[in-house]
Amino acid sequence: MGIEMTSNFWPAEDSSRIPYAVFTDPELYARESKRLFAGPHWNYLCLDAEIRDPGQYVVSYIGERQVVVQRTEDGDVVAFLNSCAHRGAQLVRRMRGTATSHTCAYHQWCFSDRGDLLGVPQQRGVKGQGGMPKDFDKSKHGLRRIRVESYKGLVFGTFSDETPPLYDYLGPKIRPEIDRIFDRPVKVLGYYRQVIPANWKLYLENVKDPYHAGLLHLFHVTFGIYRPTMSGRVTMDESKGHSVLRTADIDEEQADVNSTYAGIDKYRTDYSLRDPSLFDVKPDYDDKVTNMIMTIFPNLMLGQVANTFQTRHVRPKGLNEFELYWTYLGFEDDDAEATEGKLRQSNFVGPAGYISLEDGEAGRLVQSGVNRREPDNCSTVQMGGRGAIEDQDTLATEVAVRGFWKCYSEAMGLARAQEQA
Amino acid sequence: MMNAVCDTSSPVQDLLERYVDCLDEDRLEEWPELFLENGLYKILSRENEAMGLPAPLVYYYSRGMMEDRVTALRDALTYEFVYSRHLITNTRISARDDIIEASSNFVIFHTCEEGRSKTYAVGRYRDVIVETDDGPKFKKRTVILDTFAVQNLIAAPL
Repeated sequence: MGIEMTSNFWPAEDSSRIPYAVFTDPELYARESKRLFAGPHWNYLCLDAEIRDPGQYVVSYIGERQVVVQRTEDGDVVAFLNSCAHRGAQLVRRMRGTATSHTCAYHQWCFSDRGDLLGVPQQRGVKGQGGMPKDFDKSKHGLRRIRVESYKGLVFGTFSDETPPLYDYLGPKIRPEIDRIFDRPVKVLGYYRQVIPANWKLYLENVKDPYHAGLLHLFHVTFGIYRPTMSGRVTMDESKGHSVLRTADIDEEQADVNSTYAGIDKYRTDYSLRDPSLFDVKPDYDDKVTNMIMTIFPNLMLGQVANTFQTRHVRPKGLNEFELYWTYLGFEDDDAEATEGKLRQSNFVGPAGYISLEDGEAGRLVQSGVNRREPDNCSTVQMGGRGAIEDQDTLATEVAVRGFWKCYSEAMGLARAQEQA
Repeated sequence: MMNAVCDTSSPVQDLLERYVDCLDEDRLEEWPELFLENGLYKILSRENEAMGLPAPLVYYYSRGMMEDRVTALRDALTYEFVYSRHLITNTRISARDDIIEASSNFVIFHTCEEGRSKTYAVGRYRDVIVETDDGPKFKKRTVILDTFAVQNLIAAPL
């Protein structure tokens, strides 16, 4: 028996109550594969910087589907499903490399760097026997191509013909935040992978939730990377599915910090580091932004924590698990000192990072908790208020989480109740 | 048959084993003491290492930073409680002048509070060790992590 996709399923029109079934129901998970990952949405694939040279390719994911993103010999970026057009075998076997054609290991069908079928061994048979039918048309048996567009070096793909242009999909409130980081060429300093035992959407909730950041992450708080008393803003696009959380180290009064954390032992004035050189790194920008977390629906996160910049691609691996794939960035024009600063501050982020490791634990705890609940039980997402989903100039809010669920429920075709919880 | 008391371990071998003991027996405070004051402890994913990419998972370049990690593990960070167990094999030790180089393979098992064990991480240590008045210490320990799809998170040192 499955979930009833009725108005009872989504009890709050303003998405201030979310049924736990979104994290536990296999039917919903299967529906995501069709409606989110094969639907009219742009899914992050990779960075332009990773496939700069002709022939370079990387294997990425749209949902659980493996996708090859390729720079052709002509310099275009194309993408195709990593599955042979013949009998479906995985075609490309290394996660990255350089190739101007791809040959399936099973029967040696060969495809061009655009995914066109070039050659079928024994197409005309052997010694006059066998072979493919005479009317077999190679031009109709290419790889499943995927639409690709990029913005400022971020490459996205979509299976759907109905997806609007990427420029419009991102919209006027999100693009400037991408421009801020990607206006100069980036280089990859490394990758991190983190397999988190939780439904992939729990990570989206996490990074759209500035409320937890000042309560779970002591490091943030104690060392002034992030405090709810800082100047903060939550911005969303028109669909409410993309969001930007921005924290700047301005207008903060110590008295406000002390009163906000009165009685909360996460903020300790007696906590200090024996070696604080981690913090002794010149900021990359003079806008005093210490923390910027952007999410692009459905599953890309782009972030800045102090001097660190990363994309985080949330790759679902079944209902109860996802891989968080980090691409850790520097800038092409970074000098040795700036690069060293970013390597030092890698201690903040990634699976072992002082801040990020705790988000893995939060995911585990929530999945473990919601697995014990009835599927129609609901979470309460009301910090920052109920009702209209609008931008807010506070960090004591979960409004962007509601924005995600609004966009999700619409993309999934889940009817929301008309009354508020 | 006679029982002989025989200590076959060298001081360097002893350092490698004390490292494991202090982590597996939850005596984390002893971990930084095995390094020089300006010692280096770095965890690199094998994926990044193979591609020549520099971003480390952990990068501590002083004993103070290692002590800070221990304090954070004890008092600040939120992570799952586990018991750990390290197995070390294929240890190679070579000495040139005052510099000792060592390398060994490791497997780390984690056991949760309900007693289920799993393989948590596999990799290789690459060490530079120097003699001090206080016995041999790590000048540098680089952990090459084969299990670079990290199982949830890395809290305690590997």
